[in-house]
Amino acid sequence: MREICKSVKKKDHDPKIEGRSVYVADYNTTADGREILCGKLLHSTLAKAEVKAIRLPEMPEGYLYVDASDIPGDNNVNIVLDDTPVFCRGVVEYIGEPIGMIVGPDEKVVDRLLKETVVEYNELEPVLDIRKGTEFFFSYEFGHGDMEKAFAEADKVYEEEFETGYQDQAYLEPQGMMAEPEANGRMFVHGSLQCAYYVHGAVARALGVGPDGVHVLQDVTGGGFGGKEDFPSNIGCQVAVAAKKAGKPVRCVFGRREDLEFTPKRHPALCKYKVAVKDGRVTAVDADVLFNAGGYSTLSAVVLQRGIIAATGVYDIPNVHVTGKAVKTNTNPCGAYRGFGAPQTFFAMEMMMSHIAQDLGEDTIAFKERHFVKKGDTTSTNGKYHFPVPLPAMVDEIDALSEMKKKHREYAKPQTGRYRRGMGFSAIFHGAGFTGSGERDLIKATAKLRKYPDGTVEVLASNGDIGQGVRTTFPKIVAHELNIPLEKVYYSHPDTARVPDSGPTVASRSLMVVGELLRKAAIKLRDIWVEGEEQEVEEHYKEPDFMIPFYLDRFEGDAYPTYAWATNAVEVEVDTYTGMTKIVGAYGSFDVGTPVDYNIVVGQMEGGFLQGLGYASIEKMNYDGKGRIRNNSYTDYLIPTAMDVPNLKAVMHVEEYPDGPYGAKGAGELPLVGAAPAYIEAVEQALGGAAAHKLNFAPFNAEDVIAELSKEVQ
Amino acid sequence: MNEIRFTLNRKETTYAGSAADRLLEVLRDSYDMKSVKCGCKEGECGACAVLIDGVLINSCCVAMGAVDGHEIMTVEGFRETEQFAALSKAFAELSAVQCGFCIPGMILAAQSVLSKNAHPTEDEVREGLSGNICRCTGYNAIVNAVLNAAKEGDGLW
Amino acid sequence: MVNGYKPATLREAVDIRSRESVIPYAGGTDLMVQNKANAVYLFLNDIDEIRQIADDSEYIRIGAAVTFTEALASDLVPQLMKEAVSKIAAPAIRNAGTFGGNIGNGSDKADSVLAGFAMDGRVRLVSAGGERVIPFDDFCVRRGVTNIKDDELIAEILLPKDKCAMPYYYHKVGGRNALAISRVALAGVYDVQDGVISYISLTVIGEGKFTRYRDVEAELIGKTVEEVQAHIDDYVRLFIDRMTFTRGRVSAEYRKTVIGNLIRDYLMTL
Repeated sequence: MREICKSVKKKDHDPKIEGRSVYVADYNTTADGREILCGKLLHSTLAKAEVKAIRLPEMPEGYLYVDASDIPGDNNVNIVLDDTPVFCRGVVEYIGEPIGMIVGPDEKVVDRLLKETVVEYNELEPVLDIRKGTEFFFSYEFGHGDMEKAFAEADKVYEEEFETGYQDQAYLEPQGMMAEPEANGRMFVHGSLQCAYYVHGAVARALGVGPDGVHVLQDVTGGGFGGKEDFPSNIGCQVAVAAKKAGKPVRCVFGRREDLEFTPKRHPALCKYKVAVKDGRVTAVDADVLFNAGGYSTLSAVVLQRGIIAATGVYDIPNVHVTGKAVKTNTNPCGAYRGFGAPQTFFAMEMMMSHIAQDLGEDTIAFKERHFVKKGDTTSTNGKYHFPVPLPAMVDEIDALSEMKKKHREYAKPQTGRYRRGMGFSAIFHGAGFTGSGERDLIKATAKLRKYPDGTVEVLASNGDIGQGVRTTFPKIVAHELNIPLEKVYYSHPDTARVPDSGPTVASRSLMVVGELLRKAAIKLRDIWVEGEEQEVEEHYKEPDFMIPFYLDRFEGDAYPTYAWATNAVEVEVDTYTGMTKIVGAYGSFDVGTPVDYNIVVGQMEGGFLQGLGYASIEKMNYDGKGRIRNNSYTDYLIPTAMDVPNLKAVMHVEEYPDGPYGAKGAGELPLVGAAPAYIEAVEQALGGAAAHKLNFAPFNAEDVIAELSKEVQ
Repeated sequence: MNEIRFTLNRKETTYAGSAADRLLEVLRDSYDMKSVKCGCKEGECGACAVLIDGVLINSCCVAMGAVDGHEIMTVEGFRETEQFAALSKAFAELSAVQCGFCIPGMILAAQSVLSKNAHPTEDEVREGLSGNICRCTGYNAIVNAVLNAAKEGDGLW
Repeated sequence: MVNGYKPATLREAVDIRSRESVIPYAGGTDLMVQNKANAVYLFLNDIDEIRQIADDSEYIRIGAAVTFTEALASDLVPQLMKEAVSKIAAPAIRNAGTFGGNIGNGSDKADSVLAGFAMDGRVRLVSAGGERVIPFDDFCVRRGVTNIKDDELIAEILLPKDKCAMPYYYHKVGGRNALAISRVALAGVYDVQDGVISYISLTVIGEGKFTRYRDVEAELIGKTVEEVQAHIDDYVRLFIDRMTFTRGRVSAEYRKTVIGNLIRDYLMTL
């Protein structure tokens, strides 16, 4: 392994473990000593309704109500489209939509005032079922080959539907943002967020000011996982409008219930697959993918794009046709969550492949292996896999860890006891960085290094450390190139007043894209280094030369420059009396290129893998007939504890990417994506295989096991 | 009750507010113990866990009246100890701290495990940390760090 | 401080309880989640008399303010009770949660109450006017409702020693391996002499209330294990047909199926 892989002590280790790090809820007053007002949102209680009137209680002195009429600029939170309001425009589109905000010094009084506020609605008929939704925020279609011929010549055609549910990011620190009007008239917005420049753009627009009228700082952020990609823009605008009206700093920190119920989650999906098989080989895949977008479009466009591009999995399929729709329903808007649309389609494709193999009487692992793409093959969008595909070796690696193949064959035999075992396998990729030409056309990242006369070097970039370690890995790259001690290089939390826009902290792009810019910048700085002087260098993103240009209008070309790869094996033991399923072992081999800090990357793999296993099993969240999310507490939305998957093993496979720093590729999202199909294939095997119990939805929990087994009795 | 007297990080303290006030909020707002994090306020995440008489307890589930006469330790106090130093070193070596929000509670949970059992097994560590939710790490690094601290800090507990 | 009482003795506590409108507070783990506005608590957590675990000729006596962790460390507490409380939530909750609170808040998912029910547990209630000892069956009315009077406090949980000595069956099903509320659980103690069932108890979590079907249990007593196991379906049905299951975090169908499976498992392991 390269020198750069050697783990170092994380730069934020001491302040975090000593409890000195200041998260947004931890400020007592502002830096200049001003009192912070508490802001709380008035959320709609109906899924679709006209808001006729708001009846406020008597407001004590110092308390005020803020709503759309107070917005100096545009009542639009700029995300992808301009449809999400800062505050309700008159008709609420989901339960939880912010109608207004009550602001004042004492949180308890604010709570009481909120409780006493009455909203009069004219209730309208909501759309709650994606199968019945007729309004599509986004609708895409692409493909290649000759579908008609492939299906006409098929030996057998398989059709199946797959459903996946919500998943909440469940970061430990709930959402929270704060706005402080500055003496110079500028609005200072800061808080728990992933994308300082997204918030910056949104707030400037809501306040109706130019880019210099606002600056945004990322505070220490207690986890994001995508959940703090777009939503901090909403709260950021709300507190900024409130602070503007109050003339004082305003902070809004969500409670856990509010956070679970009213913030973006992974899109529930319905994937309909039709697959042609000839001579034991899949010849065509026709996939129709529906994502439940919720009441506003937010990030659904880009989530859906990534989802449908992955619709054929890691397989070489000659004929492909994919349609994707982001369906509007009157439910909580969904957004970004680690994997970003891909876990849904990978689940569908992996289960489809498994079910076809079982029907053909072939070992599912062998069947999948036979279809793996390899270097030079065409992607679903007629792009190219430009680099070696290490999947075969990675199958061997997890097999060595888990005895997957042997156990998979053994557990395929009939089992009759109370406890039954199953072994599941999945293989997935994660396209590294933004989908399509976003990096080149939209983000145009810039990163800087500033060297001070004392020889210290500051990294200037906009990517926030949300636990993934960029405050450590960015300086590590720079120190390595400059050949100076790591202590000499530092990276503070980004403030848009002082850092260039190196893009958002999303899409597993920070290390691969911005890390590479910093590496190049460091080389530049090294070449011009003069002792004792202040010096600055800057680096701009350039798309790698090898890429086949991507055209979003027809989904053609290289959607990603390269791919991170994973193979997962999950062994389970199902208690057929209770449905409780023990994960005997969960094994993953992950190729994210060079790990630019071994411990940090392994931590990403283990953490992401466990989130994926939660998504597969216990993390069930749904809404009732009124559109209200029922699992709105940590008691009712269960995520894994330290006792749930004690035997979780991640190993690194390194296939270096020449355009990433030292060969690094995107890492953060990869480990979540393959867990659900591996887990559910394992449960399916334990229950007797697809012939007895064909499983086609996730999460699949104890209750689902018992419901499945009850079918046998009847 | 006329007043609530307790020890906070080895210092005698008197609280004059309501006995029904939540320890979590009092620690954060009246005593500026910001290491104590609010993750759920329902006893389901452990981010607000503190040591009361050396025993791990979620401060969101404690009313001030109940702490009268007791000793409370938060990370602000615990970080002065050798045991903390050993745990911190072990956590650093495995990069077990990611977003950091669960960590103060997790460290006190680790202390609680080791103070009862200086040489725990992996299962015992997992059980001891099972009320402290971490969404970032998948727990392996944290569990291994506690086991390493027990090994290397032999004699401290 | 204006609101809150912290008596040093049980006597003092019941005096306050008789004159003031107070909420008894032992561990706080449930109360503080409810977070009642302007609550006036009667803090019982430091009253020594109800923090003891003791035994006499008839009972194992667990004080109302004894925490689950303390019970787990005691040699007197029977294994069934230990197993039940060892699976409550996680250490930080077990370190604070108490036996008095578990039964006193009327939860239909209280793990220690389940075990106590199966062992013919009793509750000792004290008031300024005296005390009474009543069976768990009489104390627990239904979810959220108990038979405690406004001037009474729970002093102790009494577990009959003969039941404590019996072999037991216990199985809890939660949503995950820790921090999990019982979705379904079954506890029972039994005695088999020369292949004949001389005593059996069975109680479950999942009905929305705690109940013992003593007449059904009576039907089993005197039967041979062989006979019961030979007609296991019929005996499972005897219980199941009497039970009504609630829908909540899981469906009533799930509860019914799993409890049926657990009753079968219990009777097959006698």
